[in-house]
Amino acid sequence: MTLISVEQLTKTYQSTTVVDHITFSLEPGKCVALLGPNGAGKTTTLRMLAGFIKPTSGEIVFDEKRFTKDVRRYVGYLPQYPVFHNWMSGEEFLIYVGQLSHLSKKEAKEKANELLDLVNLIDAKKQRISKYSGGMKQRLGIAQALIHDPKLIILDEPVSSLDPIGRREVLNLIRELKKDATILFSTHILNDAEEVSEEILLLHKGKMIKQGAIDEVSETKDTTAIHLAFFEEPKFIEERLKEIDSVFKVNRQDDGFILTVHNVKAARNQLLDLIKHEEWELTKFEVATSSLEDIFMKAVTD
Amino acid sequence: MQWQTIFKKELTENWRNFKWIWVPIVFIIFAVMDPVTTYYLPIILESAGNMPDGASFDIPIPSVAEAMLMSFNELGVLGVLIAVVASMGIVSKEVKSGVYELILSKPVSFTNYITAKYTAMLSLLAFSLVISLLVGWYYVTVLYGELSITQLIVSTSFFIIYFMLILGIVMLFNSFFKSQGLVAFLSIITIIALNTISSIYSHVLTWSPALISDYIGLYFFSGELESEIWLSSAVAVALTVLCLAIAVTTLKNRALD
Repeated sequence: MTLISVEQLTKTYQSTTVVDHITFSLEPGKCVALLGPNGAGKTTTLRMLAGFIKPTSGEIVFDEKRFTKDVRRYVGYLPQYPVFHNWMSGEEFLIYVGQLSHLSKKEAKEKANELLDLVNLIDAKKQRISKYSGGMKQRLGIAQALIHDPKLIILDEPVSSLDPIGRREVLNLIRELKKDATILFSTHILNDAEEVSEEILLLHKGKMIKQGAIDEVSETKDTTAIHLAFFEEPKFIEERLKEIDSVFKVNRQDDGFILTVHNVKAARNQLLDLIKHEEWELTKFEVATSSLEDIFMKAVTD
Repeated sequence: MQWQTIFKKELTENWRNFKWIWVPIVFIIFAVMDPVTTYYLPIILESAGNMPDGASFDIPIPSVAEAMLMSFNELGVLGVLIAVVASMGIVSKEVKSGVYELILSKPVSFTNYITAKYTAMLSLLAFSLVISLLVGWYYVTVLYGELSITQLIVSTSFFIIYFMLILGIVMLFNSFFKSQGLVAFLSIITIIALNTISSIYSHVLTWSPALISDYIGLYFFSGELESEIWLSSAVAVALTVLCLAIAVTTLKNRALD
C-alpha cells in the first residue's frame, strides 16, 4: 500500500533542470525526510507534490489511482517561509483557510480551535499575527497545513529558521503528528532527520542519490570505519596496517588513523592481534558506523 | 462558498486598512472641490486683497451642467489615479509577500480568487463614486440650481462601468508582476494611451470605452443619452471580462519563484 508514488518526476526551468527524474514512493503513516544541500531541488519537489507547480514530465500518483481531482484537497503544505495575512488574528486566518478548503464556517471554526490547542496557540488566538514570534508563526503554519485533515503533510524546512527552543517545539509537534498522518519534510539539518523520521530521501543537484530507511542507509553494509589512535606512533605502522587483508584503505588523521574495512569482525580480530603482538600503545579503538552526515558528505562530494 | 470567503476577506481587509474610509473621503473632496471653489472664486479673489482698485473681473458663472461635469472630470482623472493606487497591490502584494503560496496550497480556484478580489474592490470604488457624486450633486444643486437626480443616477451608472474597465486593467497587470509600482505605472500608461488615442480618433472610435465620460458630458447638456454610450459600455464590459480571463490564465500558468 502506497499513499503516493512519484515516477521520473522532472522540472525544468528554461534550460536548467531543477528536479531530474526522481522516483520514490511514500507509505502511509511514515515520516520521511527529504535531505539535501541548499539548491538541491527540495522546495520544487515539494511544491510539485503539493499540487501547485506542474511537473515538466513524470507522474505523481496519489492513493493508487491517478488523481483527477485537485490534489490540494489531500495535501497540507507548509512553505519554507510561511507568510500570513498579518492583519488577521491566528484564529481568523485558520478559519479563512479552512473555508478556502471547502469547510463550512462552523466546521472551520471548530477545527481551527482544535488545531490552535494542538499547536499551543490557544491563548494567542485573538492576537494579530503581526505580533506573533517566529516560532509561533511556524506553529500557526503547521496548524494551517492540517486544517482540512490532509492525508499527506508536506513541510518545507519546518525547523531551519527557528531558535533551539522553537526547533524543539516543532520537532515534538512532528512526532505528535506522525501518529496519524504521513509526513514529508525537507531539511538540510541531518540531526532533525535522524531525530524524527524513519526514512530519508537524499537529493543532490536535482537527482535522487540515496533513499531508504534511516538505519538501512546509515549502516553501510559492506564497509565500516575503524578509528585507531596511539600514544606514540609506531614505526611503519601504515605499511603494517595495509598488510591486513580486511583493511581496504588507511587514512592518516591528526589523531591517528581511519581504516576502512570490509569485514568488521575479522578486521577487529586481526587488528587487535597485531597490536597485541607488536605491543603498540593503543589509546583509542573505535568502530564507527557512518553517520548520516558521512553519507551525506560522501554522496554529495562524489 | 469559496468565492464568498475570499470576497468577505477582501472587504474585511479593506475595512481594517481603512480603504473604506479614505477612498470615499478623497473621492468626495475631488467631487466637491471644483464646483465649490469656482462658485466662490470671486469672493476668494476679493478677500485676497491684492487686487488693484477698480479692477473688476467678470467671471462667468458656470451652468448647472457644467458644474456637475467638473465633479465627473475631477474623478475621471484624480479618481482614476486613486483607484489605480488603491488596487495596485490587490494580487501582486500577496504574491510578493508570499502569502499567495500558502493560499495556493489550498484547493482555491484561480477564477474565484481573481473575480472575488475584483468584485470586492469594485464595490469599494462604486460605493466611493456614488457617495462622492451624491455629495457633489448636493453642492451643485445648492449653489447652481436644479439638476434632476435621475440624470445623476444614470450618469453615475455609466461612470461605474468606466471604472470597471480601469480596475480590470489594474487586475491584469497585477497578475503579471510582483512590483506594485510597476503595476501602477503600466496601468496608468495604458489608461492614458487609451484616452489619448480615443480622443484623437473620437470620430472613428465612437465605441471606445474611454469616451464614456465625454458622452456623460453631452448627456448633461442635452438631457438625451447618445446611442454610442451603450456600445462603449458594452465594449468596456467585454474588455473587462477579457482582462480578468487573461489574469486568471496568467496566474494559473505562472511559475512561483
